[in-house]
Amino acid sequence: MNEIFHLNFFENNDLLIVISLIFGILTFATLLFYIVGKIKPNANLIELKARTKSWWFMASVFILATVVNTKISYIAIAFLSFVAFRELYSQLGFRDSDRRAIFWAFISIPIQYYLAYIGWYGAFIIFIPIVMFLILPLRLVLKGNTDGIIKSMSLLQWILMLTVFGISHMAYLLSLPELNGFKSGGRGLLLFLVFLTEINDVMQFTWGKLLGKHKIIPKISPNKTWEGFVGGLISTTIIGYFLGFLTPLNDMQVVFVSFMISFSGFAGDIVISSIKRDIGIKDMGSSIPGHGGVLDRIDSLAYTAPVFFHILFYLAY
Amino acid sequence: MQKLTLKIIYSFLIRLFLKLIVGVKFDTAKFLLNEKQFIIVANHNSHLDTMTLLSSLPSKIIHKVKPVAAGDHFGKTRLKGKLTSFFVNALLIKRGRDKNNPDNDPINRMLKELDKGYSLILFPEGSRGEPEKEQALKKGIGLILSQRPDIKFVPAYMKGMGKAMPKGDSLIVPFNSSLIFGIPTKIVSENVDEIVKQIEQTFKDLKQKVV
Repeated sequence: MNEIFHLNFFENNDLLIVISLIFGILTFATLLFYIVGKIKPNANLIELKARTKSWWFMASVFILATVVNTKISYIAIAFLSFVAFRELYSQLGFRDSDRRAIFWAFISIPIQYYLAYIGWYGAFIIFIPIVMFLILPLRLVLKGNTDGIIKSMSLLQWILMLTVFGISHMAYLLSLPELNGFKSGGRGLLLFLVFLTEINDVMQFTWGKLLGKHKIIPKISPNKTWEGFVGGLISTTIIGYFLGFLTPLNDMQVVFVSFMISFSGFAGDIVISSIKRDIGIKDMGSSIPGHGGVLDRIDSLAYTAPVFFHILFYLAY
Repeated sequence: MQKLTLKIIYSFLIRLFLKLIVGVKFDTAKFLLNEKQFIIVANHNSHLDTMTLLSSLPSKIIHKVKPVAAGDHFGKTRLKGKLTSFFVNALLIKRGRDKNNPDNDPINRMLKELDKGYSLILFPEGSRGEPEKEQALKKGIGLILSQRPDIKFVPAYMKGMGKAMPKGDSLIVPFNSSLIFGIPTKIVSENVDEIVKQIEQTFKDLKQKVV
């Protein structure tokens, strides 16, 4: 059992507190919507209920991944990348002659995550931006079809960066070396990042619904308002400050990194929104109920993961 | 033995592979349990089509459903034919009609299987053709249904499979694709052309619905 589960996990109070907190919030939200639904049957809660439902799903997956053997966490995050990559590329109309190169791009996913697993930082950081960047166009050229090849080259590299390179930083958090006096380790960092990113989504959504008046970019995301954005920034930064014990950072640094997570989460969200506008779809798929596809869920993470990782890496390691 | 093998392969292994790796979206066709016998008619783009249809069947009836396949392709050698019959539960037929030898005539052979109580999976487009392009339906399905008008046909439409594994390429590249079923339907007319038209229309309707 000890091999599979981190039973020492339950001795680590920091992580246990956060996990209880997450489930507490979710239980509260579920009950709240249930009661409001009973009192005001007319209120339109379908979206909120669906969102809460998939938060349960996401929270369970991530917490399971943090509780079980970290090896399984790497595989779980790699699989997330894989599904997001598949979802996005399937929508973008590649040519039939791109199939071989796309296959190679798929192969790069386990390699990238293996590099994260063994903690070879140098290789991890260049593998997709340099190695795959050079190899994929070559594979496309060898197929011999030059009609539209630039589009295929750039799309493929960009999808890899967004869904694999960015997300794989979450896995590398688990491989960071141990620091003296910092107990919760990579699993704490991963929890901090995911929780803060998701709470930022929720906060922006909630503040927007409560106070939202001035739209930021109505053409792309009609629900995004300045009130929601600023409310999200402030609340996420405050929540991040109180969760600082999950990171090896000092107070000022935690505030800074939480602020940056909030900001980049917003950026990731609207970037994916704009992609969906371009393709002409509302949701990317329907793997998670009420939440569109996997990509709709990890849109902010694709931005927050590398931002958080590199600030943390610079400040603490 | 074959029953158990089919269940393990399709209701578990291939179903898992298709859903998790290839990214095919489909529900188990539980409504088929209400039908005693049926003919699934599906569009055809890829070898994955048969795999997906078999995986979507409830495991209880999987051994009672025979995909119909071209003998010239899958029965090239005796071994290949045997393997296909065992592992895919396929009924291998000739592509064209055989007037001289009624026992070998594809329509007669399919009718015989139906009379034995088997259900069939048919691809009335015939060959897989160019990826993701529809072709005109062949008349065989009309001939069969006109002679067994009480058997319902179940339209099935698949999208994206030809991208995951097109004709002439044995490499599977994961691609988000999906399968949806229509409602089991009886033919409205016993005229062969009318039947083919009816099926074509159900395909068109399903195509609108598939995401």
